[in-house]
Amino acid sequence: MSALAVETSPPVWRRLIGFNLLTAILLGIGGWYLGWFCAHQITGASLDYFGDIDQNDLAVFMGYFVGVLGFLVGLGFGVYPWARLRGYPPSLREKETEGIGRYFGLCTDHKVVGIQYLVGIGVFFFVGGLNAMLIRTELLSPTSHVFPANNYLTLVGMHGTMMMGMFTSGILGPFANYFVPLMIGARRMAFPRIESLTFWLLMAAGTILTTTLAFGGFPTGWTGYQPLNDQANAGMDAYIAFFALVGISMCLLGLNMIATIVTMRAPGLTWSRLPIFCWGVLSTAILMLLAAPVLVAVLLMSMLDRTAQTSFFIPAAGGSQYLYENLFWVFGHPEVYILALPGFAIVLELLPVFSRKPLWGYRLAVAGLLGVTLLSWLVWQHHLFVSGINADLRPFYMLSTELISIPTGFTFICGLMTMWRGNLRFTVPMLFCLAWFFNFLIGGLSGVFLSDVPSDVTTHGSFFSMAHFHYTIMGALIFTFFAAIYYWVPKMTGFELNERLGKIHFWLMFVAFNSTFGPLFAVGFLGQPRRVVSYPHNLIFLNRWVSISAFVLGFSLLIFLANFVWSLVFARVPAPQNPWGSRSLEWQLPSPVPVHNFDRIPHITSDPYDYGEPAPGPVAVPAPSPAGGMR
Amino acid sequence: MTELVQEATAYDVVEGEPPELLGRNLNSGAHLFASATAFFFLAFVFAYFYLRAQNNAGLWKPKKVDPSVAWGTVVMALAVASALLVRLGLQRHRAGRREEWRRVGVLALVVGFAAAVLQVVEWTTLHFGPTDGGYASVFYGWTAFQLLFTLGTLLWLENVVATSWRYRKVASGSPGPGEASGDPHRTGHDVADPLSLVRPGLEAVSFYWGFVAALGVLLWVVLYLA
Repeated sequence: MSALAVETSPPVWRRLIGFNLLTAILLGIGGWYLGWFCAHQITGASLDYFGDIDQNDLAVFMGYFVGVLGFLVGLGFGVYPWARLRGYPPSLREKETEGIGRYFGLCTDHKVVGIQYLVGIGVFFFVGGLNAMLIRTELLSPTSHVFPANNYLTLVGMHGTMMMGMFTSGILGPFANYFVPLMIGARRMAFPRIESLTFWLLMAAGTILTTTLAFGGFPTGWTGYQPLNDQANAGMDAYIAFFALVGISMCLLGLNMIATIVTMRAPGLTWSRLPIFCWGVLSTAILMLLAAPVLVAVLLMSMLDRTAQTSFFIPAAGGSQYLYENLFWVFGHPEVYILALPGFAIVLELLPVFSRKPLWGYRLAVAGLLGVTLLSWLVWQHHLFVSGINADLRPFYMLSTELISIPTGFTFICGLMTMWRGNLRFTVPMLFCLAWFFNFLIGGLSGVFLSDVPSDVTTHGSFFSMAHFHYTIMGALIFTFFAAIYYWVPKMTGFELNERLGKIHFWLMFVAFNSTFGPLFAVGFLGQPRRVVSYPHNLIFLNRWVSISAFVLGFSLLIFLANFVWSLVFARVPAPQNPWGSRSLEWQLPSPVPVHNFDRIPHITSDPYDYGEPAPGPVAVPAPSPAGGMR
Repeated sequence: MTELVQEATAYDVVEGEPPELLGRNLNSGAHLFASATAFFFLAFVFAYFYLRAQNNAGLWKPKKVDPSVAWGTVVMALAVASALLVRLGLQRHRAGRREEWRRVGVLALVVGFAAAVLQVVEWTTLHFGPTDGGYASVFYGWTAFQLLFTLGTLLWLENVVATSWRYRKVASGSPGPGEASGDPHRTGHDVADPLSLVRPGLEAVSFYWGFVAALGVLLWVVLYLA
């Protein structure tokens, strides 16, 4: 028997200048310059280090690589591998009991990592959102009036890349890291250091992406298509380094989630009792684990093209730009479901709580989640319908894309039937879940037009497809992200969020969201292409309408931010242990949850959805003896 | 349901985890990482066949682009030999012959590093560079990342071997508190019987190294023989 959270008693000097975020930033910057300097020694010494930055991609990549290494070493990630290299025995925990400082470094408490993710991703979400506001400011006028065309492209690219990259972990990062161990009756994730590493890699990646501005930005949008990718200036290196790091982080996050759910479930938690949120996380994690390595590989090929002068993507030198497009979308389409599946799972997890009914069609819902996971591998070429691919390939990918609406429909049906004749409570999380049905329906139906070859030919690359994926990604993922925040933050922090401000946030966001993206279908049909700074004069009214709606949408998010800060910093109204009357295991624990989660690993006795039953039994009981341990 | 935590005061320490749980984690982790590795290299396999089929500008494989099969065979054979040695070491460990395992483990490391070094040497002997067409691009990219994964796996193997050597006179149980993670300021171990994890660690690395070596065989077949 051993203590769970081992105390350390380092000397004062080590506490002051030990491994923390400040040290990490200093070593990160130092590492960047070291890598840059070394690369210049390889490619030819130059005193004009700032002048030749556009040409020396190797120096930029080496800067990023050594900078990230320095950043991680500064956070304390080097200590354990160094000890293991010298043969010291393994350990699991770091800094779990070190007060506020644990949020600013390597900490192996999954709850700390969850909160780190929530804040960290939130910061980059607001940066990405600010980019969107700047884009809509530019589009108030049909000609370039705020940004030159190149800067506009970079802005669009940064917005898309930031959102698509950082939000791949938008649900799994904060909520799965925090709640999956609690829901399955575990004390930790399977690999706690890797869990922390995934977060800090993501933060390093986000920072790297913002440095693209210093190197002239990148012209490709979030997809990084060839041959622009190979031709672009050094700002493209930031895109490649960013997405490669995001891919590594995603892959490790997925691995950790699968290992945790497979090996660490408490006794009695059979697969048929697993909360539906965990099924959603498992499905997403499978996609992350397998799709992200393909992304990393294709980006490394791009890096080799730009540094070692290979010709993976240069047709005149034996390569092919189609290779990039294919490999990118082998990752890219599963990525859409990496973003969407956690949203499905949150809706299905929350609806029984606020409908006071068991989850309808549990097995059908699981089949839906797994069906989407499987089919998402077979649809990627619908992104290439107009790229000049062999026309014989189109029917298969058209049908496979349309087929995916069947398992997606399973989750829709399960959600609707769960609410049918339920005792609905229109709390803020429930409102966001209901909005998901409306938004995702529009997103899904408009997707049929894009999966159909004849209609895709006319809508591809227009604002129509942009409106479609904003309905599916923002309408589904971001709305459920907020549902999760309003639902779980009281458990995470121990404080309530203001209900009235929450409802104002919801209604403003819901109306403004639809007012922003609904008209963009029309704008797309009328022929306005994506990523182009100018448009015809007959589209001025619609564009201004959309821009003003977008500003209202941005304002609604500021209301959320105000609510978050007011409720958690100033009002600090203690949350009850189980304010929603949920039967799920995490709500049976105090708020906030103690470091070790459970004194003894619980024994799960039923599934968490027995709502509306006259006398439901407990969902879990403590293990019979202190020596019971995990079985 | 608050009884799930209300007994915190009843015990000085909260109930610990049995080490076999960590072993299961390691085993799952190794298999999952192998599947991710497979998808990573799938991109290079796809690139090989895609660019070969396209043969753009007739530059898939110009005449001078012809790596030596002998070099490739030696590198591949050494990697496979190293993986087999780890497998042999695992058998010795299971049989309780720890001394033999440690020797075999060190030998596997040496052979594995020889494969890595010879890969680098091979690059210096080639008559073509990464700029010489589609095949050359795939060749350099694939072999470079195969080398990277090889080195990473050998590092993992070194950890297992090093722990076995450091505590070769301790059969099981926890070394002194100051030994935990090599941190002299730690007051205790957070893993009960951490030395019992050598076996699951060895099983995991044996599986993964075998997998990486198998990928090396695939590389050899595709890049040198096909």
